[in-house]
Amino acid sequence: MSKVASMFHPKRLDLSGFVNTRLIRDHNKRNAFAQMEPERQALRYIIRNTSLPQRTRAQAQLQLSQMHCYTRPTQIKNRCVASGTARSVFRNFRLNRFQFRMQALAGELPGVKKASW
Amino acid sequence: MSQSRILDLVKTQCRIFSLNFNPQRLRLGNKILRQRLRGPTLAAWYPKKTVSFRDLQNTYKPLGLTTFDEAEDDREEAIQIAKLRGKGRPKKKRTAAESRSAKKKK
Repeated sequence: MSKVASMFHPKRLDLSGFVNTRLIRDHNKRNAFAQMEPERQALRYIIRNTSLPQRTRAQAQLQLSQMHCYTRPTQIKNRCVASGTARSVFRNFRLNRFQFRMQALAGELPGVKKASW
Repeated sequence: MSQSRILDLVKTQCRIFSLNFNPQRLRLGNKILRQRLRGPTLAAWYPKKTVSFRDLQNTYKPLGLTTFDEAEDDREEAIQIAKLRGKGRPKKKRTAAESRSAKKKK
């Protein structure tokens, strides 16, 4: 397997809304992980199964570590859908704290209300 | 109850609920197989592309229907004005010789 990240790029961008390079890169990583996850899990099973011969398990370890880094789940970072920011992103809203505040104050998030007591 | 009876019970339980019977508690990695695949949910984080005005245009053009895109119209008008002022884009250089001569002029 070649180690080129461009093999995970789609021919046409299938995203709408805010887009920047880092967001597209993260999207490609997510797609790559989704595509290769069964293979990764199979290798992980072989590695963890102590009843298999040591040689097989070592080979599986090597194969897993040599997979492209884009297929690794740890490469995935939650980014803000509205601004592409990677920091302080609310998982429930997929928004950065600032975007969350702006949209909430504009009444665009149903059920979200400014606290006051 | 004897030890063997309990083992039999657990074995039957595992068969019924299709679990892995492992009385020696060996590490067989079955917890990996039990995990759900996270890929589809992770890949659905960013909003997918929906139908755009351009798509509508492309589908209706072969049928002979005309569409009006105001933003596109404005853009073309601005380009025409820029061309009249001599501020349009330079002509695309198709060959290596052409691009070389263009550089020499400067």
